[in-house]
Amino acid sequence: MKSIHTVKVLMKRELISSLYGPGIYIAIFISFLSSSFILKNYLDSIREDNISISSDPLNYPLFISVIVISFYLAILSAISISRERDQGTLEVLFYGPVSCPSYVLAKYFKDLLLYLVVVGFLFVYFWGVSALTNLGFSYGLVQAAFLSIFSVSCAITFGLFISSFTNRVRSSILYLVGIFLAFLAVQLSHTILLGMPEENMPSALIYLGNTLSIISKGVEWVSPFSYLSRGMDAISLGNPWLYTMNIIYCVIYSAILLVLSTLVLERKGVRG
Amino acid sequence: MRKIISLALPVSLLFFLSSAGWAQAPKMREQLVYGLNVFNGRGYGGGFVPQSEDTIYLIAEKDNAISAHMTLVYFWPITARYMAAWQTLNEEVEGTLEVLKEGKVIKSLKKRDNCLYYPEGYWSETSILYTDEEAIKKFEEYKKAVEKFYKAVSDYYKKMAEYKKKLDKFLEETKKLREAGKKLSPEEVEKMMPKEPKEPEPPGFYVTEPRKDYIVNLPVGTYRIRIRAEDGTIVQDSEKKLVVFTSRRRGGVGYEIIPGNRWTRRESCDDPARIIYAAGKNTLYFRPFHQDEYNELYYNKLEDPQNFGREERWRWVHIKPIKDVLLVFLKEGKLIKKVENLPYYVKQIPGPELGYNIIEYKKEEMPDRRPTFEGYKLDLSPELAKGRYEIKLEKKLEKGKFLEGGTRQIRLVRKENSKYLYPFSIFPLVVGIVVFIGRRIKTR
Repeated sequence: MKSIHTVKVLMKRELISSLYGPGIYIAIFISFLSSSFILKNYLDSIREDNISISSDPLNYPLFISVIVISFYLAILSAISISRERDQGTLEVLFYGPVSCPSYVLAKYFKDLLLYLVVVGFLFVYFWGVSALTNLGFSYGLVQAAFLSIFSVSCAITFGLFISSFTNRVRSSILYLVGIFLAFLAVQLSHTILLGMPEENMPSALIYLGNTLSIISKGVEWVSPFSYLSRGMDAISLGNPWLYTMNIIYCVIYSAILLVLSTLVLERKGVRG
Repeated sequence: MRKIISLALPVSLLFFLSSAGWAQAPKMREQLVYGLNVFNGRGYGGGFVPQSEDTIYLIAEKDNAISAHMTLVYFWPITARYMAAWQTLNEEVEGTLEVLKEGKVIKSLKKRDNCLYYPEGYWSETSILYTDEEAIKKFEEYKKAVEKFYKAVSDYYKKMAEYKKKLDKFLEETKKLREAGKKLSPEEVEKMMPKEPKEPEPPGFYVTEPRKDYIVNLPVGTYRIRIRAEDGTIVQDSEKKLVVFTSRRRGGVGYEIIPGNRWTRRESCDDPARIIYAAGKNTLYFRPFHQDEYNELYYNKLEDPQNFGREERWRWVHIKPIKDVLLVFLKEGKLIKKVENLPYYVKQIPGPELGYNIIEYKKEEMPDRRPTFEGYKLDLSPELAKGRYEIKLEKKLEKGKFLEGGTRQIRLVRKENSKYLYPFSIFPLVVGIVVFIGRRIKTR
């Protein structure tokens, strides 16, 4: 009961601080700017072709918005623990009734609640876009927005995990960006090699392709962004089973990383 | 620097080796391949299964013709597909085709006569597979029709020669009469003029020459096939997995949409959940079809064994065009207009400028032409209010009754509002500033 109260107090304090800061609004603005760019291109393509057939034309812009916000929240959570450790406030905090699980949970729920605020903004933006352009605000878009809560949860816990074993803000950001770039490099090179005909490929490239295929499969389960892209895929397929399974995977992923973050924090201690 | 060079060298070597590999001529490999003539929901389509494909896909409870050949197979990098050099080597593999289910042979098939019958001519998509005596009978029927046509053509040329002679005589006579000062009325000219013989029409149907194949007709399930040679051994590389499937849903309504401004790039709107977004002045030609829904991977592989697809995805397949309906265009339930199905002809614009006009086909005006397509023409004029519209298919024989699954939503997008999208993105910043000012006032 005491832990729940601690989580609530920590979460409230940090949430208010984040809402009063400019970061979240700038991140939402950048995400909407990216979506507007895609939407404008889409409308231009309809203007050129005079016709476009789609069930959820706003889903891809939403996907881009969520990716931008996820990245921001992942960085925010990646620096959250390391910053307090770096500044020494973490040690001070732990003299009080704060335990490692309650601290990690408070950080997690703060970022998740922050994303729920973002979801509100997303609904306003896409409703406005639909009214402006007459592109359909579909059930698929609501499904995608709901799914995004779970995939963003994966990004937050990933950031927290990185933060739990780093001592400095700079190293947290470097680790996070480095890992994401590595994921991207694996996926990109795998896609390039997949497009090449195996028949005429030298054996070195065939081995590289096979290795990348295995690594890429692993990345699909580790990278938090893969969960969002798989979920969006399930919506476009109209497959409720895949959609539900993806949400369950997100919950399991988040739970595992929360436990790991707590364990690492306990082992590493508040001083690093 | 040394590090960079040591990294760059193997990478560039790797790419050099790979590009050197691409420049080589295709390698031919002798392979046992299966030739297919399979039912695809509306007719029969061919294809071949190279060794790279380990599974053959068929529709359940339908006759499908399968044959085994030894041929040379090569990889064609431009299309990224395996091709068969049939003209260099095409040896039929003899033996019995065994179908196995859970390891047990459930059928041993011998080769049977079969042919394809195209009731609407060779270029139509509809075809029927006939087997055994019926196949021979159908082909004989076609041969007789062709012989009859050739005889009619020969008669036509004779009659045409006679007609030309009569026409010359007629022209001479009329000239003489005119020179003699006699005036002829148009009725008299008509009476005197010889009648041009009518050109005979070729048979409207087409039948392929009977050939011997294994006729496979199985219920839904997963099987294995192999060929047992006459000496009792299994022919090497003849074993394949066989997936026999059926449609998930039947009797849906799908549309093929031909945009007036690019008639060769047709769009499909098969799922009622899909919305048709249109902009500006355009004419759309709607072609409704009855459709069945199949597993995407299975159906794509059925159409061409080297195709790709996803097992968790489903796709609608157009089976038969829907006729005897009217296309009803509505706005918020109110009727705007009803459209008839009409034939259209795509007329190229003569001269150096490229382009075409789609005009209504009228047989009397274009006796030597055939319509390019048939469809329901819908003009989306810029005067139409931007909003939501609907199309439905009304049965001609039952007025007011609409075809189930035929409704589609059309939305005219407000493309002119796209300029407001960027300014609209600023609203989170505005909210942020309001929150910030609110906090400043509060803390004071």
